[in-house]
Amino acid sequence: MRTADFVPARCSLLLKTLCPIVLAALMLMVFKPDAHAVPSYSRQTGLPCASCHFAPPELNAFGRKFKLDGYVFKTKPEVTDDKKDHNAALQLLEAFPLSVLFDTSLTSTKAPQPGTQNGNFLFPQDASLFLAGAWSNHVGSFVQVTYDSQADHFSWDNTDIRYANNHELFGKALAYGITLNNNPTVEDLWNSTPAWGFPFTSSNVAPGPSAGALINGGLAQDVAGVGGYAMWNEHLYIAGTLYRSEHIGAAQPLTGTGSPINIRGTAPYWRVAWQTVSKNDSLEVGAYGIHVRSTPNAVVGPTDSYTDWAVDFQYDRTIPQWKSDVLSFRGTYIRENSSLVATFDAGGAAFPHHHLNTVQGNVEYHFGTKISAAAGLFHIDGTPDPLLFPPAPVSGSADGDPRSGGYILNLSWWPVQNIGLTAQYTGYTRFNGLQTNYDGAGRNASGNDSIYLLARFIF
Amino acid sequence: MRSRLSHHLSTAALICFAGLGLPALLRAQNDVQKIYKANCVLCHAADGSGSSASGKSLGAKDLRSDVVQKKTDAELTEVITQGKGKMPAFGKKLKPEDITNLVAYIRALPKGK
Repeated sequence: MRTADFVPARCSLLLKTLCPIVLAALMLMVFKPDAHAVPSYSRQTGLPCASCHFAPPELNAFGRKFKLDGYVFKTKPEVTDDKKDHNAALQLLEAFPLSVLFDTSLTSTKAPQPGTQNGNFLFPQDASLFLAGAWSNHVGSFVQVTYDSQADHFSWDNTDIRYANNHELFGKALAYGITLNNNPTVEDLWNSTPAWGFPFTSSNVAPGPSAGALINGGLAQDVAGVGGYAMWNEHLYIAGTLYRSEHIGAAQPLTGTGSPINIRGTAPYWRVAWQTVSKNDSLEVGAYGIHVRSTPNAVVGPTDSYTDWAVDFQYDRTIPQWKSDVLSFRGTYIRENSSLVATFDAGGAAFPHHHLNTVQGNVEYHFGTKISAAAGLFHIDGTPDPLLFPPAPVSGSADGDPRSGGYILNLSWWPVQNIGLTAQYTGYTRFNGLQTNYDGAGRNASGNDSIYLLARFIF
Repeated sequence: MRSRLSHHLSTAALICFAGLGLPALLRAQNDVQKIYKANCVLCHAADGSGSSASGKSLGAKDLRSDVVQKKTDAELTEVITQGKGKMPAFGKKLKPEDITNLVAYIRALPKGK
């Protein structure tokens, strides 16, 4: 469970130091990084984006296999050390696998945030460079660095570098590999888990709920992990990664100062999923989770512990009689149990033991490869705690309750496969515990309802 | 005397073939298997059936089927080289002799059906 900003009057110096850090972390968690389709994969494979995606970044079965195999499938010329030897010691893509993304957006909330302009035009919202493609026959990458116009700098974004190979086990196909990545679930193959889940894009301006499970973006780009994965018989997928904190921009070796999450030891992430695919149907059900022991703002001392258990599903139905339109259903439930001993000792929580439930579900209809319409519901509830979720204008909670709920409507149009135009409406039925005056400063949940318009260019 | 010499020569030729030619053939077979595995298995599956998950989703052809096997070598070569439908072109990646070997490999697939 993530902590909200604390009551200033009751904050110790340590907590006062933590407040902006926690808020920054919350921003990262609430406004999770966007997910993308990457043109350099298209240049490498000679295939259109639609071969791997129903609509970017949603992977179809072919896209999942491409990722599973380490992003290395290619049909384009290579530089090799010996053109007569298929086991060449060097096999490089002739085309450097670089891609560029440019996002510009407009966000308007139903009620302006106090003292701020409403209707915010971000030009750009962010811009990304990708190193995405095959590094060799068995090693490939999805590496992203992103310029954030609000922070006004580039920073490391989602990264997944993997080795992959294929063999047989018990007479059935076995695809397996090793992944180096910086975000739990970024290595996952489905769009029902947090890193690549719905909504696929979101505003950097509109407020979001203050509570969220750690695995739901809370460690994104703030950890480094090495793990393994395997898909057996194209049905059973298992994966596991061990993470350590790796705060981008912080001095090394880490002191933990300024970071709300400092993993003690390693944080194990686990994933198991079962899938079945036929010509027109694809079904996945699975479970995933992570266990984290952390000391806020330090690398020694008392620890908080978080254990996230989650289940998820994804079902895609291709409708051949309707021009191969695709109907998708996705959902996940995350249960987080936390023992916040360190935070409690520091006066940041009223008691140590908390839990948090997160439910997300969505349905999407793809009209061919050009238009998609989606609707999603989300709900968060958990242990109320007035110190962990204190009152504060816009971002706080008047009653210390982490409950939030609402819906997201999305309409996306891809006139060509590398240009996307999106309109997204987010509505809140409850925000940080209440429907009205939720922050103790007179703001209503519906005041955070937002319309978000995005133009995305990828090349 | 002549027939004995002829017999010895034949034996020597066989040994040479076994020692030099056969490994070359096996190597070529091994190479084409690797090419097939690296480029075709993703959609067409190891047995050519197109029954892999990605093959099903893209509607990949069963390479053992009559539809495919009735095509001429030239037609199969053209499809591999230039691509067709959802299948990408491999002409810029694979050498002509590799594609020729792949066509032969595809021809041999029904035997393992």
